[in-house]
Amino acid sequence: MNGHVKSMHFQQFMEPAATLLSLLLVMAVDSTRTVSASRNPGCNSLQQTLKLTRLVEKESVDLIKTYKVSQGEMSELFCKVSVNDVPDSNISGLEPSEWIVSIFTHLQAFFPHFKRVYEQQTDLQSPTSPLLAELTTVSTRSRSLAAFISSFYQGLFPNLPVPEPAGGPTTLPPPKNVFQQKVYGCVVLKTYKEFLSNVSQKLRTLKPKVCRRRMQINTLFFF
Amino acid sequence: MERIWTEDAFPERRSSLVLLSPPPRLNQKGHCNELLVVDSPQSPVLEIGTDFAATCMITNTDEVTADDLYWTLSGTVVPKEQYTRINKTALSVTVPITSEKREWLLCRCKNVSAYVVLNKGRFMHGIFLTKGYRPGKPENLSCIAVQEERYISPNITCVWEAAGRQTGFVPTTYTLNLDVKIHCGMYNVSTREKSATVSVGLFPNHETLDIWVEAHNTLGKVESEHLKEEANWFVKTNPPSDVRVISERTFPTSLLINWAHPIDEVYVKLTYEIRFCPSGSQNWTYVPLVDTAKGIQSFRLQNLQPDTVYVTQVRCKNAIERGYWSNWSTNATERTPEDRPRSKPDLWKIITEDESTARQVWFICKDPVLSNGRIIRFDIKIQDHKDRVKNRSGELESIPVNRSKADPSPSQQKITILKQISLDDKKSVEVYVTAVNSVGKSPEASLVITEKLPTVKDLKVQRNGGQLCLEWKPPARPVSEYVVEWVSGSRIDWQREKGSTKNTVIKGSLEKFVSYTVSVYPLYSGVTGKPASKEAFLEEGVPLIGPAVKLKGKPGCNEAELVWNEIPQHSRRGFITNYTIFYTSGTKTHNITVPANTTSYTLKSLSRSTKYDTWVIASTIRGSKRGFNHSFTTLKYGTGEIEGIVVGVCLSFLFVVLLTMLLCIYKKDVIKDNFWPRIPNPGESTIGNWSPDYPLKTETPKENCLSGISVLDVDVCDGKCGSEDDKASLPLKKDKYLSEEHSSGIGGSSCMSSPRQSVSDSDEGGDMADTTASTVQYSSVVASSNGYKGQTPNFQPQQAIFSRSESTQPLLDSEENPDMLLQEGSRQSQHFSRQPSFTHTAGNEDSADPADFNQLEMEQQVLEPLDFCPLEEETTPTDGQSADGLPAALVSSYMPQLGGYRPQ
Repeated sequence: MNGHVKSMHFQQFMEPAATLLSLLLVMAVDSTRTVSASRNPGCNSLQQTLKLTRLVEKESVDLIKTYKVSQGEMSELFCKVSVNDVPDSNISGLEPSEWIVSIFTHLQAFFPHFKRVYEQQTDLQSPTSPLLAELTTVSTRSRSLAAFISSFYQGLFPNLPVPEPAGGPTTLPPPKNVFQQKVYGCVVLKTYKEFLSNVSQKLRTLKPKVCRRRMQINTLFFF
Repeated sequence: MERIWTEDAFPERRSSLVLLSPPPRLNQKGHCNELLVVDSPQSPVLEIGTDFAATCMITNTDEVTADDLYWTLSGTVVPKEQYTRINKTALSVTVPITSEKREWLLCRCKNVSAYVVLNKGRFMHGIFLTKGYRPGKPENLSCIAVQEERYISPNITCVWEAAGRQTGFVPTTYTLNLDVKIHCGMYNVSTREKSATVSVGLFPNHETLDIWVEAHNTLGKVESEHLKEEANWFVKTNPPSDVRVISERTFPTSLLINWAHPIDEVYVKLTYEIRFCPSGSQNWTYVPLVDTAKGIQSFRLQNLQPDTVYVTQVRCKNAIERGYWSNWSTNATERTPEDRPRSKPDLWKIITEDESTARQVWFICKDPVLSNGRIIRFDIKIQDHKDRVKNRSGELESIPVNRSKADPSPSQQKITILKQISLDDKKSVEVYVTAVNSVGKSPEASLVITEKLPTVKDLKVQRNGGQLCLEWKPPARPVSEYVVEWVSGSRIDWQREKGSTKNTVIKGSLEKFVSYTVSVYPLYSGVTGKPASKEAFLEEGVPLIGPAVKLKGKPGCNEAELVWNEIPQHSRRGFITNYTIFYTSGTKTHNITVPANTTSYTLKSLSRSTKYDTWVIASTIRGSKRGFNHSFTTLKYGTGEIEGIVVGVCLSFLFVVLLTMLLCIYKKDVIKDNFWPRIPNPGESTIGNWSPDYPLKTETPKENCLSGISVLDVDVCDGKCGSEDDKASLPLKKDKYLSEEHSSGIGGSSCMSSPRQSVSDSDEGGDMADTTASTVQYSSVVASSNGYKGQTPNFQPQQAIFSRSESTQPLLDSEENPDMLLQEGSRQSQHFSRQPSFTHTAGNEDSADPADFNQLEMEQQVLEPLDFCPLEEETTPTDGQSADGLPAALVSSYMPQLGGYRPQ
């Protein structure tokens, strides 16, 4: 009886030990794969895309601040007004291939609006205004981001068709007065910032999948 | 391929030279005119190190053939070995391209005909060779983009190294290419330099850049290796901003550092590096990179020294593996909080020993090495080592110190004099000292001053590499610790070494050219032993001043003693190896080298009455220093020399005087007789009884009479005529002599006497003579062959009385007294014996004293020139003389001249 009990205790002890040993083996194997994961082109592309997304998002935040400052009084009110014909900040699609294409399409859709805002603000601001420079910067970064998204998509889904810019001409709002221009510009920038925030969230959700093994290892170490 | 051709200048006779070069690079077709058809002067660019071949073709003429052609390169005919005859009208040449200079390659024609000579220019064609190298592959390409304000500059600057060579005629151009991947932005810029900056409009953070350099020239092009990295790989940010160091009192060994990112993390994610060092030190301590996580903005430095000012700097770089570190941030300085002293104060002593008084002991100490704060006081306790109790035994005495925080020098180098006590010999004390700061007190340091214990042996102090190296042999007794002390003047410092140490270097700050007394004290469990000491210089130099020389006393005739002071210790700047004394009289300079321990020297063999300049040079191993000149003049006469001469003269004079006095004393009778001769009383003279009628008979003198001696009554003073003493009286004497020359003395005859000049020897006598009337003939000399008294006037009447005295002086008694006459006559006959006519009788009893005789003989010799009487008194003794034995007859021979002078 006692011997049985001892045997039972031994078996009870062996089970967590085996589990721990297995876990350690998995960690060891994963650690070897971590190197390969870090060298995964998709992961690198995703990380670069994420970094650039955060960068553009940050710059868009700064741009809004600069925009508000440069628009004078009641600038806070400008961004609270809804304007039609501005791209939606939401990303459509459930599958990564779908919402990545949606991201790309949205980015493409914002470019004409940036151009319009830039043109409007060129009339409103002095040529040396930091707003114009920041607008240019954000626009340029956004194009790079679009290229990154496209590249990432091609790397992730090489067999799917390359996302193309929107086919038809982008609908731009008709000429408006200065106030309306200011409101329009702010809405565009605000919407774009929200869009970038959504893009970051989406891409982060993709990161565990693309850079799965590495993230798992990190998670294990943190816990 | 056809390169160049020429054509005949003459329309009727067209000819041409066509140069062909094998490399089919150019196909330049020449066109002809009437004289010379040259399409264009071709200037092929050739690669140095290759061979170049060209062909010369003759066209449209039969004047010359290929055999008449030849090639020149820079005016030098190319050897025919390099020619290749292709056919009758074509000749090729192959030349190696070696030099970098550009040169002409000419195809020329020999003067085979007058036509060729006249159209020489048309039978020549050439090409201009330009040479160069293929571009080398650019190496070590690196690019950088620095931060500008909040962003990274869009200007990316790249540098590279040019490989290979290039000539000025074939330059290499570099094109910097930058390709921004993903969105395919391509940028480039060309330059002939080895660096270039390309602007991309907006720095493509997180994008991949492909950067390379293409080098190209006429001969080709080549690309460098591609730098294909993330854009942030090339970023160099500003250093971290707002670096602040925070000191927290509860953590005396820690400092907290805070800073701000120089750029937002969305652009560049940074990693940091921190370094720190105590203020004044350049030995930075770097915090390991693994301890500075990415993106941190604060860090806590630990294990620091309390109450120490630390300088901290931070820099950053891209968090990826490679990248450029930013510059270090500006210094952030902060002092750590104080802590209680963690080590003992460095306790030491200074002992001055004076035989007359007790030892004076000063207890001194340095702050603890780990003072961990500003020392505000020392607590000292002194106990008798044996009796345990002394005056202040057990009493803790606090000695406050005032240290300024503004003083930058380390407090560990400050020496505090704690206390001074008098300590008798053979007494020992124990001293305990603790250092106290604002937080607490240090461990206790102790020192025992006791009897002298063994010292170290064979202490050696040597200079080596700007340091003083010490080496010693330990004493037989185990040593717990050594104290190396060095003293210079009033400055003292020391350091401690372990008991196992046998050599060390002085770690303190030593000055050059300063003498240090280096001592090594063994400590036997805190008890000091006897020190071993050496003098040493960290570096020797030339003395600052020379010795000041002066004379010791006065100079002599031939010597002078110089003395100089030792150069003051602070002016020596080295060990004096010797002194060199220089002295000169103006013509020749002499020098004498004396040891260093000498401070005086006597110059000898100097000339009398000569001015000398002298100076002394003190020498060290580094050089010499001359002192001031000192001049002196030697004496003409030495000290005491004059006195000696004077004393000698005086002594000689005194000796002469004494000798004279002695002579006078011993010869007073003679002197008396000579100076004061006895003058017979004329009244008692018997000459009055003398009568010319007195039958004179020749009598044979007696045996005791002077035989053959004629007595010349020359005064004895003649012997003194040369005496200086009598010089004063010389006139008088001379008169006297003159008088005596003409007067007869006692019992003597006056030769050549003149009656008119007869003067008495004595004034008194003279007076008497004056009173006795000049008519009195008081004497008459009778010459006789038989002697004075045996005169026989009858036989020789003319000789018997040949002279007479006209003296008025009466005759002496002796003349009348035969006895006296006999005696005196005998004496005087001895005194005034004459040579050679006179002979001495051996039987002269009165002249028993030979000394007297000799003396008188000398006097006689002196007197010889005064002999006025050439008369050869070979006469027989007079009656008077012969009557020596017959006093009666002799008495009768002197008769008083009562009737005055009687004519004969």
